[in-house]
Amino acid sequence: MKTVKLASVLAILAALLVPGMAFAQIDPGVRSGTGVNAGQPFPSVTASPNDLAFFQTGLAQFNEHQTVTGNNPGLGPRFNLDSCGTCHSQPATGGTSPASGIFPFVGSNPQSQVIANGVVNGSTNTIPFFVLANGPVREARFPFFFDRFGNANPNAPNGGVEDLFTVSGRSDAGSCSLQQPSFDAARAANNIIFRIPTPTFGTGLMANIDDSTLIANHGAQGSNNLGISGTFNHNGNDGTISRFGWKAQNKSLMIFAGEAYNVEMGISNELFTQDRPLPGEDQLGSGLPANCLNLAGTGYPEDITHSDGTSASTVTSDVGLFNAFMQFLDQPTPSTTSPGGATSIANGRRLFSAIGCATCHTPSLTTQASKLTLGLSHATANLFSDVEIHHMGVGLADNVSQGGAGGDQFRTAPLWGLGQRIFFLHDGRTSNLLSAIEAHESNGSEATQTELNFDQLLTPSQRQDILNFLRSL
Amino acid sequence: MHTKFSCFLILLVLSMSMLPRAHGAPQSGGDFSENPQAKKLPTETILVKGAWSSASDSLTPIPEGGRVANHVYSNPYFGISFALSPDWTEKYSGPPPSDSGYYVLAQIRPADTFKGTTRGSILIAAQDLFFTLTTARNALELINYTKDKLNADYQVEQQPKLVTIASRSFVRFDYVSPVAELRWHVLATQIRCHMVQFVFTSRDTKLVENLIQEMNKMSLPEEAGPISGRGGGDFPVCVKDYASSENVMERVDPIFTERRFNPVPVRIIINQEGKVKHIHFLSAFPDQAAAISDALSQWRFKPYVRDGHPVEVETGIMFGRAPRTTTPRPPSAATE
Repeated sequence: MKTVKLASVLAILAALLVPGMAFAQIDPGVRSGTGVNAGQPFPSVTASPNDLAFFQTGLAQFNEHQTVTGNNPGLGPRFNLDSCGTCHSQPATGGTSPASGIFPFVGSNPQSQVIANGVVNGSTNTIPFFVLANGPVREARFPFFFDRFGNANPNAPNGGVEDLFTVSGRSDAGSCSLQQPSFDAARAANNIIFRIPTPTFGTGLMANIDDSTLIANHGAQGSNNLGISGTFNHNGNDGTISRFGWKAQNKSLMIFAGEAYNVEMGISNELFTQDRPLPGEDQLGSGLPANCLNLAGTGYPEDITHSDGTSASTVTSDVGLFNAFMQFLDQPTPSTTSPGGATSIANGRRLFSAIGCATCHTPSLTTQASKLTLGLSHATANLFSDVEIHHMGVGLADNVSQGGAGGDQFRTAPLWGLGQRIFFLHDGRTSNLLSAIEAHESNGSEATQTELNFDQLLTPSQRQDILNFLRSL
Repeated sequence: MHTKFSCFLILLVLSMSMLPRAHGAPQSGGDFSENPQAKKLPTETILVKGAWSSASDSLTPIPEGGRVANHVYSNPYFGISFALSPDWTEKYSGPPPSDSGYYVLAQIRPADTFKGTTRGSILIAAQDLFFTLTTARNALELINYTKDKLNADYQVEQQPKLVTIASRSFVRFDYVSPVAELRWHVLATQIRCHMVQFVFTSRDTKLVENLIQEMNKMSLPEEAGPISGRGGGDFPVCVKDYASSENVMERVDPIFTERRFNPVPVRIIINQEGKVKHIHFLSAFPDQAAAISDALSQWRFKPYVRDGHPVEVETGIMFGRAPRTTTPRPPSAATE
């Protein structure tokens, strides 16, 4: 009898608990069963020996490790890492932040290994508190300058990149002696924000969407009953819509590459021609000390077009090659079946649109004719972005202004390739897709109503369908 | 000997003071701080704003000035007072007005104390009809535009039709997402040349109908109606394009110090003497707002005359980049 009673209790408990567990939606995690679904050139590039040579030389240059002097000179004097490809590596070269132990097992956060790998000298550099072995790769910015008492001054906006490391103490850095920025003090003052690398797959397609297409899409979303508006960031020179970077602050891939080479690696180039001091050294101080300039001994800019090159790809500057590599990178290939099966993914796609996510995360836009390669011409870019900047509220605000974007405005992050990303949101604060979605609601966010639709009005199985759909991308 | 010692001391102090600079040691300031007890910046606060809303004074009500307090949403600009059920609340405030004149006025949801089995939401929003990206001239046309542009995810359940809410005329439009099993019930009216809308979203039609019934307790200005709401009564009359050349007697263009490319929609109230009484920047950088304020203070208008008497008039001007309409605009809104 007791056994019967116990069995009944267990059965009731199971009935109560198991269905609940079955319907508690979870992030399926990085998609691993379909191989690596990004990082390939357009078929039209593969079919053209000249274009393919550009792509492959660009890829090699993207993965090259720079040094202060030597064969790949120009690194520093301040930098975040010594190679594009080590930060943009998940799930393939051109992607975003890697982590060890997660498909496709690219490796641990390379910034955490800089001392062990001899990229920086451990007696003159420390690993900042926000750089962890399991990632993400990060750049840091101080929203405000410190005043002379060491307090963050809200009346003095900064927002520039505070490079993590210096070349000081390296055998090829001469007498250049620089201090790392005050990351711990910035943390104590709540005056530090982070950014993670944006993936570059498909960015050639994004570059080739005409402004008129973006404007028409903006107008079509003008009456959405979801609390969403949005606007564009504009290039300060010609007034056209800018589109790259977390706040759509960069007009073109060439500028994006040139700025990153200068800011992230400290390599001057034909677009950004000087070695870069920290924002405070530049704007409030006297710039870099003389013994930290021209460390490569080549003169400036350190990366140039090579008039002595013997082929198109050997004439082209590094920045030009990065640009060619990114332009020719095809968009990621989504899965129709994984995770969760075809029905769930298809259902999730419809739900994603129905509750309002697709109002900003526009599923696709069509490119214009391209002179570069057929794959970029009149193509469907499945980017899941309107390329607009939106107010994302106090929960995500970083108090950094870039171009026309204010402290809480961010470009709608393109979602293509999301299924194989590890870290989410501009600062990589979470690896949990559900948490990333929930972060869309806060005071002042345009996405609050849509997040409410997801979180409060859908059933758990509907939410799971959306998560499966997103991880299929 | 004493002199030599003094010289040595001076040299020592000088050389020590040179040391930090030579070795690049951090000074407090810029990117460096050695203050472990620094004052913390506030969290979850937007300190660096881009283009944002502002006004020339803090006393004149503005559309985004509505608040939920004691379970009542009140908006002095629109003259709205809407009592909410005790178990419904505003958890998060909306974004600032957009540069196309869209306002999220309040986002209402069930409170933690809500006992119902199904949930829903109420979005109170407004669209300034002077700056809409659509061709709509009034709230009725804007709802029809919404219906016409509804994407394939939705099915129309209730064509736009006129209904009476709290003794005022509204247009009601319902649609459903079959896959999400969610319904949107939109009730809109026009006040001061804005479409003011209440959007109810839920899978529970009974819940929504009860909420819509509660709207009957709302107080609204007399002008409220899907076409009629053009100010008057306690508010200034609103007239589209009143700042056109035939009404502007003196005009000074703003001098912008920085080249930007954002739309800057501005609503102004012109007094009986033809001077600008109030300026509301829906979206402007501070330097743009300052330049436009300086200019508008020098503008002189023909007084707006109604029933033989000059009255205050409210109108809109787009500075900066022209608004982006997707199709050519029809002739300007109906005038009195």
